[in-house]
Amino acid sequence: MYLQSRISAIILILPLVLVLVSLTIYPFLNMVYMSFHNYDLAKGGDPKFIGLGNYLAIFKDRLAVSSVEFTAILVVVALPLEMLLGMGIAWLFRNLFGERVIRSLALLPMMVPAVVAGIAWKMLFNYNFGPLNYLLSLFGVPNISWLGDQNFARLGIIIIDLWQWTPFVFLVLYSGLQSMPSELVEAARVDGAGSWAVMRYVELPILAPLIWIVLIIRLIDVLKLFDIIYMVTWGGPGSATHSFSYYIYKVGLSYGWDVGYASALSIVLLVVVVFLVNILMRALRLRALLEL
Amino acid sequence: MIKFLKYLLASLILFFFLFPIYWLLITAFKHSEEWFSWPPILIPTALTLNNFLGLEGGFYGGMASVVNITPYLRNSVVVATVTALASTVIGAAAAYAISRFKVGGIQLANWIISVRMLPPVASALPLYLIFSRLHLLNTQFVLILAHLVLTAPLSTWILITFFNDIPKELDEAAFVDGASPLSAFFHIILPLSAPGLAAVSTLAFIQSWGEFLLALVLTSNADAQTLPIYLGRYITGFRIAWGPLAAAGLINMVPVILFSLLMQRYLIRGLTFGAVKG
Amino acid sequence: MRLKKYLLPGAMAALMLVLLVAPAAPVGAQQPVKLNVWSSPDNADALTELAKLFMEKNPNITIEVSPISWEVLYPQILADIRAKTGAFDVTTWDLMTAGSIAEGMLDLTKFGEENPDLVDPNFDVKDFIPTAWHIYGMWGDKNIGYPFYGATMFLFYRKDYFEDEALKAAFKEKYGRELAPPATWEEASEVAKFFTKSENPASPTEYGITLMFPRTHTLFYMYLNWFAPLRRSEEGVKKFGEVDMDWGDLFTADHKPAFNSPEGVKALEMMEELMKYSPDPLGSDYGETFEAFGKGLAAMIPSWTATLAGWQDFPEVSPVKEKVGVAIIPGGYPVSGGWGLGLNAASKHKGEAFRFIQFATSKEGDKLQWLKYRVGPTRYSVLQDPEVLADSPWLGEVYAKSLENASHRPRIPEEPKLEDLMVGTLSEILMGQKPDKAAALEELAAEWTKILAGK
Repeated sequence: MYLQSRISAIILILPLVLVLVSLTIYPFLNMVYMSFHNYDLAKGGDPKFIGLGNYLAIFKDRLAVSSVEFTAILVVVALPLEMLLGMGIAWLFRNLFGERVIRSLALLPMMVPAVVAGIAWKMLFNYNFGPLNYLLSLFGVPNISWLGDQNFARLGIIIIDLWQWTPFVFLVLYSGLQSMPSELVEAARVDGAGSWAVMRYVELPILAPLIWIVLIIRLIDVLKLFDIIYMVTWGGPGSATHSFSYYIYKVGLSYGWDVGYASALSIVLLVVVVFLVNILMRALRLRALLEL
Repeated sequence: MIKFLKYLLASLILFFFLFPIYWLLITAFKHSEEWFSWPPILIPTALTLNNFLGLEGGFYGGMASVVNITPYLRNSVVVATVTALASTVIGAAAAYAISRFKVGGIQLANWIISVRMLPPVASALPLYLIFSRLHLLNTQFVLILAHLVLTAPLSTWILITFFNDIPKELDEAAFVDGASPLSAFFHIILPLSAPGLAAVSTLAFIQSWGEFLLALVLTSNADAQTLPIYLGRYITGFRIAWGPLAAAGLINMVPVILFSLLMQRYLIRGLTFGAVKG
Repeated sequence: MRLKKYLLPGAMAALMLVLLVAPAAPVGAQQPVKLNVWSSPDNADALTELAKLFMEKNPNITIEVSPISWEVLYPQILADIRAKTGAFDVTTWDLMTAGSIAEGMLDLTKFGEENPDLVDPNFDVKDFIPTAWHIYGMWGDKNIGYPFYGATMFLFYRKDYFEDEALKAAFKEKYGRELAPPATWEEASEVAKFFTKSENPASPTEYGITLMFPRTHTLFYMYLNWFAPLRRSEEGVKKFGEVDMDWGDLFTADHKPAFNSPEGVKALEMMEELMKYSPDPLGSDYGETFEAFGKGLAAMIPSWTATLAGWQDFPEVSPVKEKVGVAIIPGGYPVSGGWGLGLNAASKHKGEAFRFIQFATSKEGDKLQWLKYRVGPTRYSVLQDPEVLADSPWLGEVYAKSLENASHRPRIPEEPKLEDLMVGTLSEILMGQKPDKAAALEELAAEWTKILAGK
């Protein structure tokens, strides 16, 4: 019985595995292979083996280095902000009148395709006529060049990312809070705990696994940030808003398929992502979550 | 007093989240002189449907007109729907195997989620070459396949946690009664995890609908291009006809928003990996 | 007996796989000839109409024109050429990409010689403006396309203000000469200052000029408007040699960078000087400057041919014929843009594609695309056509001279990479991050040399 079930199970899992294997293993292996070659479609010719040449070039490439810088900024600034804001909003909206409606409305930024969000924000950030500058001007703030100033462009991307994904953090944590068994909270209150203590000692620990999952998912996505940058700032000004993913796009597609170099860059990104996520997953105790 | 402050804060936050969408909405109905002005026109009085009919915005006005946008809308609907269905089916099958039979253990589960970590940019060229040799480029089918790679892993993961929630005793009772694992799957697991299936298909739909990069690389004309590409092509360089662009953006946005609102409950369950019953 | 138990799961999995794979099965069908034409958005409307007209004359041919955004068109063309899949038959190609796509494009002149029956007797190759023929058609000695979209930059200005008596008097008083579209960038500074409200409260416009120096390829080509006049001056030519048509104005005659020089620095200084009189130059791209001028914010705008048509929707600058004047760009060597129309060497319908390309770039095609879509002409016959001149008198003088004297970006395969590096450096200089301009340009030149030497 057991053996038969196992074989049935393996057959069931086969489609997923086949799809994933054929469409990810081959590109992945191809990527690794190409990263050791010099292959540039714009120049034509065949791939030429150059060993670690591409990887070494990354260090000397100032555009690559500055894109690492911006990606790091995103991880260190945008990610914690969105987590904190999301958590704050989750606590704030609890037990508010009309929460169903509020919850539905808060969903919206997440549902908007990144391309559409980019269009909307590009209008909002317009120097001469954008509503954002108008709003600021009501407070006496002179027009800000959101897309032309290095620091403001970076801030702009962070704002858009927060706009799009804080709702995600909020939703997950909010739902977690809502479905928390109320006996625990009541017990704590009976013991004299104030709201702050309840949050710290009861709610946060129970929500911890959810918080970790959200953090991991967002970390992966922030490291891959591309769509918004493509639509709004095109990586500029200077190379201020080049995320690493965006730089890979430039090298790999925009320049004319410099496949070798782009592959090396991608491998580096992958290694970093896997490394960071592994650390987080260990903290999460993944096995326990999946009951494996 | 605190309640009042809370509401104030809540309103400000909601305003922040909703204003860009509102702006897009009104721009889609504004005449071209009003797209940009100082002060910005926040509550338009002179509404028009011209942006949707391709009558505003000069040469680039054809964007949201029915004739031009229909094929892209069609493609988006087909690709997203089929991706969602396929992702759910494949994910359910795999999740069942992992949840009930621990196939592959933690390694397999790890590998599945690590697929998500691969930047899509990196796989663009290899995928382009594979599909061009198979003569599959620029078809809805190729996009469905590419999107499946993005959505199936997450679907599987989420369904694993849902299936875990269904007590194994139910399965065992069925086995005792002589049922095969497969009929246990169909008659017990699937019905009980219906909300989970709904959640997973909704998430997959949303992800496929908004996907941009792979669609950009793998398709080249209205036969298979989706709405995000149609919009994306007008954003750089040349004169941007904001009205029609906003109109097209609305068309891109409204279906998925309506769909998500409808499936909210399931969405939230899915997003929280079943931890929350909504 | 045992195997029966695996039947159902096996069938399920098999069904799933079949459903996944089935659509890939090739469908054989007889279809009339279908040409796939790829086009940038700027060319798409004109091409679509030309396609329609062509299809009326050739009912057995269907043409589908697909607009593809600028930055994806190039990689897609490249990928298709390398993979030799023939996903497109005809495409518009940006002149800067000539070098890298040359290999995949069919030599049209040779094809014409091999298939004389397909050649249109009225085509008249000599009718093309020589600069246009070269940059939109030649790479080395291969004829990789026919010129389709002639584009170069002009200085558009508020004719109504420049002809206003009161303003003219005020200007003469201040600067001692007539108010007129500036012929040099030094003159432009004075005129721009005059029209900037913060410098001259009596100015009718907020800003004198609206410039686009964003971190995109825009900055790369804008730079040439300032550098080329210096490069092509007498001293410039003596120092750097003649301009090579394929390598462009940024290089010396023997293919070395030319901008790491006092001339290169001077160009940047002049750009900086003008930035003072422009709204958000570093954050503005084509669309923003277009909007700014259309709303009457600025008195001058260096921009491309197509902007003129777009302004008819703006009340502040309508009617365009009365309010907007066109002049040759200060310095006299505007940067060239534009597109060629080429045939994929891997196309399965070369004959039909060739005939379509000829049709689209014929005298009638060139004239139609200007009159209806403002796609710049590339032929003398169109520039001298009475109907065209009645519609746009400036085409005769200003346009012809501008295109003939256009300056060029490099058209070599490494162009995108070189451009990207340069845009980064120029952007940083203009943002004030690199006070030592000469050193920054020198560094850039070193990077360029390294790239050109191959990795």
